[in-house]
Amino acid sequence: MTDQPGGFNALLAAWTAGPMLSIGLTLGAFIVAQWLFARLRRPLWLPPVMIAALLLAAVVAASGLGFERYEAGARWLTVLLGPATVALGIPLYQQMHHIRALWRPIMVTLPLAASLAAFYALAIAWLMGAAPMVLASLAPKSVTAPIAMGITEELGGSVSLTLGGLLITGVLASLFVDWCARWLRITDDRIIGFALGLNGHAIGTARAFEISHTAGAFASLGMGLTGVFTALFLPLAFWMI
Amino acid sequence: MVVLRGFLVLVVFFLLGEAVRVLVGLPISGGVLGMVMATFTLMLRGRVTDELAAASQGLISVLVLLITPGVVGVFFIADQFAGHWTAVVVALVLGTLMSVFTTLLLMKKLTTEQARGDQHD
Repeated sequence: MTDQPGGFNALLAAWTAGPMLSIGLTLGAFIVAQWLFARLRRPLWLPPVMIAALLLAAVVAASGLGFERYEAGARWLTVLLGPATVALGIPLYQQMHHIRALWRPIMVTLPLAASLAAFYALAIAWLMGAAPMVLASLAPKSVTAPIAMGITEELGGSVSLTLGGLLITGVLASLFVDWCARWLRITDDRIIGFALGLNGHAIGTARAFEISHTAGAFASLGMGLTGVFTALFLPLAFWMI
Repeated sequence: MVVLRGFLVLVVFFLLGEAVRVLVGLPISGGVLGMVMATFTLMLRGRVTDELAAASQGLISVLVLLITPGVVGVFFIADQFAGHWTAVVVALVLGTLMSVFTTLLLMKKLTTEQARGDQHD
C-alpha cells in the first residue's frame, strides 16, 4: 500500500517537503480552538492555547506525521515570536502614562515578586526531594520561553522540563490571578495585567489582552521586566547557593 | 504595504536586539532587548506611527498561534517528567498560587498607599 503511486506516505512526503502542512494544521487548530473556547463559554482553566495544542498533538501523533516533522515546518511560524516580542513594546509605549503613574509600586514589587516566583517553587520542590536537575529546570518557570530556555541551559537543567513547567505555570497563573483578584477585591486592570505578565509570561500576557488593552500593556511590562531581572539574577543566585 | 513597513521596523529592532545580545554577551533574548529598545526609541520620539501600531497589533493578536507549536512539544516529552511528577506538579501549583497572591497583595498595598500619599501631597 505504501509503494502505490499516490499512496498515503507519498502524499505525506510531498506535503512535508515544505512547511505548509504544519502551518495549515497550526492555523486550523488555532481557529478551531478559538471557536471551541467561545462555545465552552471561555473556561479559564482551558485557554485557547491549550485546546489548540491538544488538538495538534492528537493529529500529529495519530496521522503518523510525527512531532519532529511537524516542528520543522512549524518553525516558519515560531520565528515570528522574535518580532512579536518586539511588538509588545508598542502597547508598552502607548500605556506609558499609566505606567509612569504606578512606577513606584512596580519597581518595589518587581524584584520581590519575580524572586519569589522562582523561590516558592524551588523551595517546595527541594523540600519534596527533587533532584538538582529538576530544580534547575523549574527555576525560570515564570519567564517567557526564549529567555527561560537560555537560563535553564546556563543552570544545567532540562529544556523540555522547563517548557512543560512554563505551560503549566502560564495556565495556572491565568486561573489564580482571576481567583485571587476576586478574593482580594482587585478590579484595577493595571494590577491584574501586571500580575498576569509577571507570573504567567506569554500565556498570561495573551490572557491579559483578552481582558483589556491596559491589562495587556501591563502584562507586557511585567513579562519583560521579569524576563530581564530573572535572566540577570537567577544564574547569580544559583551560583551562590 | 503599510503593515509591511511596520513589520520591517519590528524585524529591524529584533535584529538590533540580537546584535546587542551577541556583542555584549547578555543572557537575555534578542526579542526582549529589541522590545526594550523599541519602547525607549518611541519614548524619545514621543509618538508612534500608524503603520507600526497596525503591525504590532496584528502580531500580538496571533501571539497564541505563535506559542502553540512549542506547547505541542510538551506532550511529546512528557515521559521525561517520569519520576519527578509529584514534586514538579506540587511545586508549580502551590508556588504559582503563592507568587500570584504575593504579587497582587503587594501591588494592591503599594498602589493604595501611593494614592493616599498623593492626596496628602
